[in-house]
Amino acid sequence: MAIVTVGDVARKNAQTLQGAGRDVGGTIFRIAVAGTLYVSLLIIGVLIFDVLFDGWDQLSTRLGGFLSGTLRSRSIDDKLGVHQGLYGSFWIAAFVAIIAFPTGIAAAIYLEEYANQNRTTRFIELAIRNLSGVPSVVYGLLGLFLFVEKNTILGFIGLGWLVDLTGGPTPISAGLTLAILVLPIVIITSQEAIRAVPSGLKEGAYGVGATKSEMIRTQVLPYAAPGILTGTLLSMSRAIGEAAPLILIGAISGGLTANPSFVDVTALQDRFTALPILIVTWVSQRGRDEGFATAAAAAIVVLLVVVLLLNMTAILLRNRFEKKRG
Amino acid sequence: MNSTGAQRGRLIKLTSLLAALAMIVAACGSDGGTEATTDDGAEGAVTTAPEEETEEAMEEETDDEAASGGELTGEVFVTGSSTVEPVSVRTQELFNDINPNVNIAVDGPGTGDGMAIFCDGEADMTGASRAIKEEEAAICEENGIEFTELLVGIDGLAVMTSNNNPVSCVSFADIYALVGPESTGFTSWSDGNEISAELGGAGDMPDAPLDIFGPGEESGTFDAFIEIVMEGSAEERGQEAITRPDYSPSADDNVILQGVQGSDTSFGWVGYAFAVNADVKILEVDGGDGCVAPTSETVASGEYPISRPLYFYANNARIDANPAASAFVDFYVTEGLATAVAEVGYVELPDALQAETKAAWDGRG
Repeated sequence: MAIVTVGDVARKNAQTLQGAGRDVGGTIFRIAVAGTLYVSLLIIGVLIFDVLFDGWDQLSTRLGGFLSGTLRSRSIDDKLGVHQGLYGSFWIAAFVAIIAFPTGIAAAIYLEEYANQNRTTRFIELAIRNLSGVPSVVYGLLGLFLFVEKNTILGFIGLGWLVDLTGGPTPISAGLTLAILVLPIVIITSQEAIRAVPSGLKEGAYGVGATKSEMIRTQVLPYAAPGILTGTLLSMSRAIGEAAPLILIGAISGGLTANPSFVDVTALQDRFTALPILIVTWVSQRGRDEGFATAAAAAIVVLLVVVLLLNMTAILLRNRFEKKRG
Repeated sequence: MNSTGAQRGRLIKLTSLLAALAMIVAACGSDGGTEATTDDGAEGAVTTAPEEETEEAMEEETDDEAASGGELTGEVFVTGSSTVEPVSVRTQELFNDINPNVNIAVDGPGTGDGMAIFCDGEADMTGASRAIKEEEAAICEENGIEFTELLVGIDGLAVMTSNNNPVSCVSFADIYALVGPESTGFTSWSDGNEISAELGGAGDMPDAPLDIFGPGEESGTFDAFIEIVMEGSAEERGQEAITRPDYSPSADDNVILQGVQGSDTSFGWVGYAFAVNADVKILEVDGGDGCVAPTSETVASGEYPISRPLYFYANNARIDANPAASAFVDFYVTEGLATAVAEVGYVELPDALQAETKAAWDGRG
C-alpha cells in the first residue's frame, strides 16, 4: 500500500497539464473563436476601407462643402452635400433623447422596483420584449397613422390633434416614431442595468432610513447609470441609422430648397430628409449619374462617423461611471 | 452623514456630466449652425456667382414675367415617379437660383404612389412615367381635383448586348422569342429562331449563349418594356404578356449593365439615359418599320419604337391659389423643358411639343 501524498497528485497533474500541444481540442476551439473575431473585424475593416475609398473624391476635395450642401440633381454640383440629412438626423436623435430616454428609464424603474411580480407585469414585460423585435417598417406604419395622415381612425377617437401638432411629414413625426421604436430597447437595457444593482446597496440605504424613492435616487440610479447610458446611446445609434420608417413617414428623396441650420426650430414643421435617406437616394441615382456612387459612399462615411462618435461617448461615459462606483 | 454626502456628490457629478454631454451636443449643433449660416450666406451669393446661370436667370426674368426676382415666397410640393424626379429637382434648382425664398420639396415614391397622394389633393404636382390610369383619374374626380396633364420629355428603353456580339439589330418578334414566356429554358439565341420566324421575324439569330439581364417586375421600366414590346406578340401567340421567369432581374441598373458587359452574347434592357454612357452595344430595334438605333433625335420623334412619354400632372386649384407654385409651373414648362430635361440625361422634347405643353398649361381650365 503506497501512500499517495498531495505532492504526488500535483506532480501527476502537472505532467498531464504540461505541453501546450497536448490539449488539441482546446487549441482548435481557441483558434476557431479567435478566427470568428478576426473575420468580423476584417469585414468591418473592408467595409470602412471600401466606403472611404469610394467616397474619397468627395471627402478629400470638398469636405466642408459636402457637410454643408444639399440634395442636388447632378453629382458634379458644388452644392451637393449632406447638411439637410444631418439636420433631420440630428433632430431625430434629439427627440429620441428627450422622449424615449426619460420614458424608458422611468418605465424600467417602475417595472424593477415598484411593480408586483404578477401575471400582468409578466405579460407587459413579454410584450416589451416582443416589441423590441418588431421590424422597423411596422413602426413606420404606426408613425404614419399616428402622426402623419389625417382622416385615420384617430380622428374619430379624438386624437386627430396629434397630426396638427406634428405638422404631418416633418422631423417631429420622424423623431416621435423613432422614439417609439427604440423605447422597448431602452426599457430592456435599463431594466437589466437596474437589476444588476447589488441588493446590499439597497438594503444599506433602507438601513440608514432612506425611503424607497431616496434609495432609487441615491443608490440604484447612480450604480446603474453606466449600463443605462450604454444601452440608451446604442439605441440612439440605431434610431439614426433607420431608413425604412422614414420612407413611410415621407422623408424627401429628391430635392429640398430649405437647408436650415441645426438650431432653426421653425424648420421642424417643414418637409425633411435624413442621412440614411440620402444614402438610399444616391445609391439609386448612380445608374443615371455615376458620381452619385461617390456621394453615397461619402454620406455613409459621415453616418458611420456620427454613429461611432455616439458609441465612443457611450463607452467613455460607461468607463467613467464604472471607475467612480469602483 | 458622510455617506449621504458622497452620494450627493456622485449625483451632482452625474448631473454635471449629463449637462456636459448636453453642452457637447449643443456645441456640435451650433457649430453646424454657424457652418450652415455661412452656407446660407454663400447661397445668397451663389445666386449671383456662376455667371452662366445668372445670365440664364436674367434672360428668364426678361422673357417670363412670372419670375419676380427673389421676392416670391411660398411652399411647393412635388411628388411622383422616381424617373421624372431628377427633372423636377433640376428645375427646382434653376428656379431657386432666381427665387431662393420659395421652398420646394421634390419627392419620388413612384408613379402610382404619387398619383394616390396627388388625387388626395396633398401635392401641387406629380410626375408620371406613364399616362394617368382611368381608375386614378376617377379618384381625382371623386375628390374634386381638376388637373392638367403636361408632357415633360421622352424616355427611350435601350436594348443592349456586349460589344463583342456581332448581332446589331433585333425585331420585336426576336425580343419576344428571346425573353417572352415561351422562351423559358432557352440557352442560345438560335433557340428563338422558330418562334421569331412564326411571328414574321427574320429567324436568323446566331447559335450563341444567351444570358439575359433586365429590371425586375416592380419597375416602371419593366412595365413599359412589356407593354410596348411584348403585348403585341403575346396576343398573337395567345400568351400572357410576361417575361420568362429564368432571367437575371435587378432593381439596380448598374448590375444590369455589368451583367451585359460580363458575357459576350448577353441580352438586356434599361432606360436609354442609363445605357448611353455605358460600355455596351446598344442594339437597333425593328418595331415594324426597319431597324432604328436609339438617339436623342429618334427617341424624341418616336421613330425609335421603344420609347415612353414622361408627364407631370398639375393640380389646377392648388397652383392657382399659390403664386409660388404657379410661378414654378410656369418656369417648369419653359426653362424646365428646355434646359433641365437634357441636363439630367433625358431626351428633350422637340420645340413644337414643348410649345404644346406650354400652351396646355396656359390654357388650363
